[in-house]
Amino acid sequence: MPNLQPYANPNYFLILGVALMPLVIGLLNGKRWHIYETLVSLLFLILIFDGDKVHQGIALIGYVLFEGALIWGYTVYRQKHNHTWLFDLAVILAIMPLVIVKFVPFLNPGSNSILGFLGISYLTFKSVGMIMETRDGSIKKFEPWLFLQFMLFFPTISSGPIDRYRRFKKDYLKVPDRDHYLDLLGKAVHNFMLGFVYKFMLGYLFGTVLLPKVAHLAMASRGGFLDISWGLVGYMYVYSMYLFFDFAGYSLFAVATSYVMGVETPINFNKPFASPNIKEFWNRWHMTLSFWFRDYIYMRLVFFLMKHKITKNKVLIANLGYLTLFLLMGFWHGLTWYYIVYGLFHAIWIILTDVWLRFKKKHKAHIISNRWTNYLAIFATFNTVCLSFLIFSGFLDRLWFH
Amino acid sequence: MFKRLWQIFGPVLVAGLCLIALLLSPLQLGRPSEKTLSTAATSLSANVLKGEAIKDVAFNANYIPMIGSSELSRMDALHPSVMANKYNWQNKPFLLGAPGTQSLTHFLSLQATGNHLNGKKAVVVISPQWFVPQGVKPEMFDFFYSPLQTTYFLIHAKDSESTRYAAKRILELTSDTTNGIMRDALKNKALGIPLTKTQKVYINNVKRPTLQHQDQLFSQLFIRGREQELRKGLKVLPRRPDNMRLDQVATELGQKATSDNPFGIQNSFYEKRVKPNVDKLKGEQSHFNYESSPEFADFQLMLDYFAEHKVAVQFIIPPVNARWAAYTGLSQAMLNRFDKKIQYQLKTQGFNNIVDMTNDGGEQFFMQDTIHLGWRGWLKVDQRLQPFMKTKKAKAVHYHTTNDFLSRDWQNVSGDNIDEFD
Repeated sequence: MPNLQPYANPNYFLILGVALMPLVIGLLNGKRWHIYETLVSLLFLILIFDGDKVHQGIALIGYVLFEGALIWGYTVYRQKHNHTWLFDLAVILAIMPLVIVKFVPFLNPGSNSILGFLGISYLTFKSVGMIMETRDGSIKKFEPWLFLQFMLFFPTISSGPIDRYRRFKKDYLKVPDRDHYLDLLGKAVHNFMLGFVYKFMLGYLFGTVLLPKVAHLAMASRGGFLDISWGLVGYMYVYSMYLFFDFAGYSLFAVATSYVMGVETPINFNKPFASPNIKEFWNRWHMTLSFWFRDYIYMRLVFFLMKHKITKNKVLIANLGYLTLFLLMGFWHGLTWYYIVYGLFHAIWIILTDVWLRFKKKHKAHIISNRWTNYLAIFATFNTVCLSFLIFSGFLDRLWFH
Repeated sequence: MFKRLWQIFGPVLVAGLCLIALLLSPLQLGRPSEKTLSTAATSLSANVLKGEAIKDVAFNANYIPMIGSSELSRMDALHPSVMANKYNWQNKPFLLGAPGTQSLTHFLSLQATGNHLNGKKAVVVISPQWFVPQGVKPEMFDFFYSPLQTTYFLIHAKDSESTRYAAKRILELTSDTTNGIMRDALKNKALGIPLTKTQKVYINNVKRPTLQHQDQLFSQLFIRGREQELRKGLKVLPRRPDNMRLDQVATELGQKATSDNPFGIQNSFYEKRVKPNVDKLKGEQSHFNYESSPEFADFQLMLDYFAEHKVAVQFIIPPVNARWAAYTGLSQAMLNRFDKKIQYQLKTQGFNNIVDMTNDGGEQFFMQDTIHLGWRGWLKVDQRLQPFMKTKKAKAVHYHTTNDFLSRDWQNVSGDNIDEFD
């Protein structure tokens, strides 16, 4: 068996097209062949995790069994009791494999945990989400088969978008009516084509052609204040473009593949660079991740702080929420100074944005707001986002310390 | 429903079918123009080297391949490409090589020109630096590796010891794991087993036409000639190719360009590449050894190709900058032993046309920098190339190659002990 990384080369798309054909015919005729669907998923999982990646495959199996047992156990418990400490324990256990995977290279540079595999962070979001919804009572029983289908849904396994269990289950169990499914197929083809342009043309241009050049330029002109140079400025924009087109392209493929399978995985990007401020940016960039953090971290923390009357200051509560959310997001990316600075940067930026928005609301009469100020806002937001991506890229680490 | 399905998938299907038809068709797409050839001849572009279309046309026109590596890019006024343009040589050099190309890359590229070089001529600049103990670096070979040329090899190479050796080396040095069929076919070649029916059909009718058409369509794009350097060189050359005058020009240019360091290295190169580490480099190369290397066997593959296709070859062995070598501790005695060994390999098989400059490293303004020929060095090369390149057709050649030079023993034997080698 060849090893094929998701959406990486033409062969992958060819095999994908052939494998999905029977499913399309079935869905058009009002039938969903779950067994065939499962076999296709299995085939693609094997293609991702065979060959020299077989260790990751084993780690994946272990991981899913562990999370499955945990969620099952918690669901059974939750049907009778609802203690906070046990909920906390379940969440801690659920994120433990990810924490270990993130800590091993930090404590022991150059090595990777044997628990790691491609997509572990995304699966962790899914499982933690399930535990939280079980506590809320939204998920009432554990359905092992659906749990497996949800966790191992191959189009999104490696890098999202992050779906929610109840939403996925609804799609998985029903057959979309024909007209609606035809709409989905149309969108899928569009997404695939746009994804090709994003990932293989623009992503290639920025990532493979231009990025090494500006990196070289920036490294060659070190020495000034903070090693700032035109090369570094170039790197900032080129990397930002690469990050967007590569990831957005990938997400388009994942969504398109889901649509063909009759599952409406949520979209991940919605013209993020047209955002007039950072709050809006996070509603448009890596949306399923920011919504996950919003729903499961931010909202819950705000609710917790209010319920226990720790403070009544609403601004303070919101700011604590932002700080927690973005610091966690930084840590999630990895235990390096630049991911954490990236998180802090966004937290502070969003807090300051709130200050400004409140100020603007109060002094509405005196602040000009028209089309041009909106363009200015988009321009400023774009550039600041690029600056944050420069931090995120880790290039400064190479530039300053190596 | 079918109407809507057609609206959704029709355009994709039509586009896909058009693409497949285009790639698999027997059509020749886009013949390189005269202008493309002259640009490609000095571009040193990896795509040209990895392709076939441009080279095949060039060798049928009035271009003679000049095969080498980094030195080819040292394009001062005395560089053969400039000289050929200025003095209207009948045949012009077609430069093939870049930093990192060595014998195996050139073998793969040569064999894919197939019969286009039959009974013609070629020039090979042999860098002693290729012959390091580990041979060509896998990442370098991989960078210049051409699947297209490999398809030609798989279809045409007859089973022989050198074919088996070549297949083994390609397998060792490439990391391409995406194409199982090509790899399996290479494994068959390495073992001397004929390709299976499936392999043959796939490589001949699918893989090769697809790659060929990509080569025909794309390798002409994005190539940049060195018109600027050419023009600069053309301006300073005298009107008539008088050797005394040329030597004077070479000396003047060299003098001006190497003023700021004691090694006779071009100033810009010295400032950028040498000066920052000059202390670290003192005595640093005393252990360098170019006498034992798999490169000797890779090199033999080129010789086998030349013999099979009766190509007359002019070999050039450039020296190392002597003052630089003395500073870094690079041993001239070792270079002489390397020279002895490579000359043995050439001459015992009938390749007698050699410009050996191993001991010219001390000449003034002979080298442009540490290991690359410059002004007066190029002039010495020009003086031999000009008569050699007058005609494109080779006189009868008498080569008698032997597989002994593919052996591990030959790869390892030192220059002083070649007499013991049989």
